[in-house]
Amino acid sequence: MTMTDTQRRPVSRTAAGPGLTIQIEHVTKRYGRNTVLHDLSFSVEPGRVTGFLGPNGSGKSTTMKILLDLAAADQGRATIGGRRYRDLADPARTVGVVLEPNAFHPARSARKHLEILTDTAGLPATRVREVLEMVGLASAADRRVGAFSLGMKQRLSLAGALLGDPPVLVLDEPGNGLDPQGIRALRDLLRRRADAGHTVFLSSHLLSEIEHLADEVVVLNEGRPVTSGPLLDLQAAATRVRCADPNVLADALRTAGALVERSGADALIVRGVAMDVVGEIALAEGVPLHELAADTSSLEELFLGWTGQGSPMRADVKTEEVAS
Amino acid sequence: MKPWLRLIRAEVRKLTSTRIVWGFLLVLVGISALTGIAVVWGTDMDGSKAFVSTEADQRSLMAFAANALMGAGLFGAIAVAREYGHGTVVPTFLAAPRRHRAVLAQYAAVFLGGGALGLVGAGLTVTAVAVTLPTTEYGFMVSISGVVTILVAAAIAGGAGAVLGAGIGALVRNTGGAVTGAVLALIIAPPLIVQLASGAASWVPQTLANVLSGVAQDVSRPAAAAALVLWAGVPALVGIVAVQRRDVV
Repeated sequence: MTMTDTQRRPVSRTAAGPGLTIQIEHVTKRYGRNTVLHDLSFSVEPGRVTGFLGPNGSGKSTTMKILLDLAAADQGRATIGGRRYRDLADPARTVGVVLEPNAFHPARSARKHLEILTDTAGLPATRVREVLEMVGLASAADRRVGAFSLGMKQRLSLAGALLGDPPVLVLDEPGNGLDPQGIRALRDLLRRRADAGHTVFLSSHLLSEIEHLADEVVVLNEGRPVTSGPLLDLQAAATRVRCADPNVLADALRTAGALVERSGADALIVRGVAMDVVGEIALAEGVPLHELAADTSSLEELFLGWTGQGSPMRADVKTEEVAS
Repeated sequence: MKPWLRLIRAEVRKLTSTRIVWGFLLVLVGISALTGIAVVWGTDMDGSKAFVSTEADQRSLMAFAANALMGAGLFGAIAVAREYGHGTVVPTFLAAPRRHRAVLAQYAAVFLGGGALGLVGAGLTVTAVAVTLPTTEYGFMVSISGVVTILVAAAIAGGAGAVLGAGIGALVRNTGGAVTGAVLALIIAPPLIVQLASGAASWVPQTLANVLSGVAQDVSRPAAAAALVLWAGVPALVGIVAVQRRDVV
């Protein structure tokens, strides 16, 4: 998988424009009596890779479908650059989408599939060859898609998303079925796009993929927003402190509103207050410190905490209250 | 190229890039072959070849519009419903988020496809009869204008049937269900309707197709054409409304 888009020719404009902000505003979605999204709000900014996380059935795909006008919200609205998807002047040149991993007719060739997409979207036919080369499918262009592996289908989906050279990418589980080289190439491609100012919004259940790629994350659980913000901030949202009298310091920190847990005989893990505040409280209590450091958690640990055991809170990270 | 023309071209490409058209063409070849076999070896109850002995008999044998209507109904239903089954409708709706435009393009493409299938089916049937009649004591009696009427009627009926099937396909979104719906609408429901209201016999699709072919005179041809448009238009309209109002996936 090459995914080298640096040499591609432009479509009808000289270069891809800057990315657009995706806004999800108070979106609620119900299927019958079942509410699958509860007053969901967040934004996805250009120039960043934003990972969309949540357990299966948490509402990630539904959110993306509402954003793309494939499903209707019962309340709220979703916009791209301030417009609903259906109001975009040229959707295929604005937003590239990977949604369904098997949205192909098995009897069509990859080339024919993309030619139909260029016809539908009014894109030049020359883009077909370019995107096939970009995703490393040029040699399989005339094979029936029904004979493709899941990874090849995923590459073809990505080729379809890139046809219009759009400044916004909305990708639902784009790494599914890709081999390690494919995942690496996908990561590089998305990073280059984000670095060029494009908007990259992707969901994935592969936490390591998100951890390596995302600048920001938005986390859903049971259709409710759990947390969002820069991944590095979220990962460093706890402070590890070792001190001479952990009991006294723990009480003082709890009084200040922090979440405190013991970690060994003389150490505390503190959430909910910034590191410098922990230091100031220790000074005020006269507790000598032996260590004061960010306690970086893996995304997996954080994810399990957010979705299974409540959410860590911190004042300087935008964290949504879980609606009851 | 105008956007609506691009959409129609894409939908036509969808039809021609799979085996659906070839499958239906094969069926048409089979039907025309059976017609030819009937002319060569078939007889009436009394052992005669009376069924090809007059111009009206030959025209009736060659009139393909009713077959085109039913066959194209299945074609339209399968062509549209499989788009939902395979998920290929999703990229279409992403490129044309005003969904009614995409659905109208689908209808236009299946109208062309169904019309072409009707035309080819009628042409093959006329050819089969013309080729096999010399094996009997009767010559080919239908005039050129009569043949043209048969061909045009089959094309119109094929197009209308395909749009009717497509409307059901858009409504049901499941290939098996859409085929069942098309069979119900074109084959099972009409006789039941006639049972309930005998006056409706002149307005069921098969009768209307035969009127267009010139082998029935129950109503005028313009009235038959208008009624066929209505038969196709109602499910097509319901299909568009359903696609507009429902979530895609």
